[in-house]
Amino acid sequence: MHAFLDKNRTQAAPVSVDFPLISNQETWMNIALIKQYHENMPKDESQQFVFTCLRRLGIEHVAFKRIVALSEEEAFCVMLLRAAMIQKAIIVIDRPFIIIPHLKDVCFIFQMLEKINDLYYSCHVYDYKWMADKYGDLCQ
Amino acid sequence: MSITREFKVGFLVVFTAILLIATLFYLAYEKGVFSTIHTYTLSSHSGDGFTEGMPVVFSGFNIGKVHALELNDQGLTLIKIKIPNKHVKWIRSDSSFVLYRPLIGAARIVVSSANLHSPLLPPGEIREVNTINDINDAIAKVQPLIEKITNIAENIERLTNQLSDPAGSLNRILANARKVTDTLARKKSLLEMAVDDEESVKAVHAALKKLKDITASVDGVLKKVDKMADKTDSSLYGKDGTLPQVNKILKDIIGKLEKLDTTVSNINKMSGDLSEGTKNFRILRSDIDDTVNAIDDVAKKLDDLLSTKKEPEIKLP
Amino acid sequence: MSFKCIIFNTCVKYNDSSLFVNDNVADTADRGLQFPDLCYKHLTSFVFSHNTIKKYWLLMASLESIGRFILQITASLRDTIYFALLVITRIFQLSSYNSATRTVLVNQIYFTSVQIIPAFLTASIIFGSLFIGIVFHALKGLGLSDYLGNVLMGLIVTEISPLFTVLLLTLRSASAINAEIAVMKVNNELHSLEAFRIDVINYLLLPRIINGMVSMVLLYSLFSIVLLISGIVFSGVIFGMSMDAYTNILLNSANFYDIVLTLVKCALFGFFITLIPIRFGLRTSDELTSIPVAVSSGMVNVFAAIIIIEVLLLITKII
Repeated sequence: MHAFLDKNRTQAAPVSVDFPLISNQETWMNIALIKQYHENMPKDESQQFVFTCLRRLGIEHVAFKRIVALSEEEAFCVMLLRAAMIQKAIIVIDRPFIIIPHLKDVCFIFQMLEKINDLYYSCHVYDYKWMADKYGDLCQ
Repeated sequence: MSITREFKVGFLVVFTAILLIATLFYLAYEKGVFSTIHTYTLSSHSGDGFTEGMPVVFSGFNIGKVHALELNDQGLTLIKIKIPNKHVKWIRSDSSFVLYRPLIGAARIVVSSANLHSPLLPPGEIREVNTINDINDAIAKVQPLIEKITNIAENIERLTNQLSDPAGSLNRILANARKVTDTLARKKSLLEMAVDDEESVKAVHAALKKLKDITASVDGVLKKVDKMADKTDSSLYGKDGTLPQVNKILKDIIGKLEKLDTTVSNINKMSGDLSEGTKNFRILRSDIDDTVNAIDDVAKKLDDLLSTKKEPEIKLP
Repeated sequence: MSFKCIIFNTCVKYNDSSLFVNDNVADTADRGLQFPDLCYKHLTSFVFSHNTIKKYWLLMASLESIGRFILQITASLRDTIYFALLVITRIFQLSSYNSATRTVLVNQIYFTSVQIIPAFLTASIIFGSLFIGIVFHALKGLGLSDYLGNVLMGLIVTEISPLFTVLLLTLRSASAINAEIAVMKVNNELHSLEAFRIDVINYLLLPRIINGMVSMVLLYSLFSIVLLISGIVFSGVIFGMSMDAYTNILLNSANFYDIVLTLVKCALFGFFITLIPIRFGLRTSDELTSIPVAVSSGMVNVFAAIIIIEVLLLITKII
């Protein structure tokens, strides 16, 4: 995965426990940061954009929360949105069941990806072989 | 409407920046940064004490500063001072410039203008600067004191040198004192220590005893003499003593002399009238003179007699 | 748009290299043979008594520890200067600034200056009034009333005020910055930023350093203004001085050069009281226990820097 990230440096957008959210910022700022930094999008505009995205995932109530106050699913969604903020993002999800350990299958992840499918270019999921059954038909 | 974080930050930054800039601007304005500056040239025989940036003061207020110091061809120091336009009015043609060097604090050029109605000092005119030097004055006052202190210090040093010198006076005195005390501890008395001979001490004791006996006998003699003197006194000064009798005699003599004096004056009168019998009267007069002289001698002898308290034989003429 | 799912057998452990930590000296010393070991290797060929070798060993060990200490100090100083130059370069590059940087800068100024204002003004009024009252009283007692302006401008405004402000900011903000960066380092949050191609210097450090400089100048100005206003009150009460006379004394004593130098000093203080904690925060290892160590080392170095700057500027003033 690391090699993949290096290969697609401009588009790669990791979602991983190794790349945590910034703990001293509110949720919306974690997401908006990418737009503000790479596209120099004004704060208010980026804030509105992030709110829209959060609404799409049904978690707009977490906008002003700090990271420690989020549930595992909410934290995953925020990480996913942050990754999707990269232009033509190639989202790389690294071991999603470590981010959300109690998840039975990958359906929740796919549902979230479906909701924001217009925000990214492609998505890659990396996980252990022994977790294959959680991915169902996708691994066949 | 809630005040946003950005607004608060912006307000603080802008407010403080305006405050700071306004303060700096005001300071610059008051310091005359924006006003027209006039340059005056002063001169001094020595550049000692002058520095660039030195304040120029009028009535305790800074009105300018020294801009540059130069040395001209005549060896005079030229001091160029810069005065802002608003303070030029204090620099008059009769203004005096004094370099004041206080004991504590920075030196400054003090401007004094006796008459503020006199014309302004032309910028081209060169005025001389006098100097008041508190430091030198203070040094001059302190100099004698320092000399005295130096003398005292030298004396103290000499004393301490003598004290520390093993062969010095004090140490010698101490050594001698030690010897004396040692000797005193060994001897029975101070006298023995002084003469360092026991026999001599005994002799002194015997002599003293003898002296005591002699004193007692002399005392007896003196008592006798006193008694004799008492007797003499009574014979001289007593009721029937010599002196009262002498007094009587003297009074008698004085009475006689008065009579004689009258006689002589009568005779003098007669001599003025009788020119022919002058010779006889002259003889008479010389006799009278002799008598007076004799009486005088007797008086002298009496005087001697009184002073010696003796019983003299008085021979009357 | 494509969607792929790749399953792999082994989990990749990411290379945990650090961009900023540069403990070359300590690493070099740990990697190579220790000097006493070398001594032993060479000395065993000779016939020496045990005591002689022990004495040599102790001497060499002492010299080595002194040398290591000096090298560490030198390396640390060199890295700090290099880092400072890098930050200064970035400050003057327009590309360093974007919406994210500005947001962080505004937040930092808000937390450092705006939030502190009530407490700071209260402390300024209490401390400033007391201090100025004591100084005025002492001047009157010593018969040095003529030097009121010089003391006020030369000592209080240009020396005491910056020192008071920098100490307050160091205690409140520099320590917070140090801890914040150390926690981010331990939590791998800096890696996250790198992974999203966000320049840590531009995004995290630059706004904090600029904030340090701006806040320092702002708070110093406010503190000085409070002090000078206190001075009006105290000069009236103690010396019976009118406001005009007080203003005149201040104007006579105020030196434009000194004020500008003091503002520069404040900016320098602000620069170093944020740069040094950041550097020490970035030197934190991946263990949580290293956070307090980094914070305490950072704070000690900040105070050392304050003293050094103060001394250097005093020397500049004297010269």
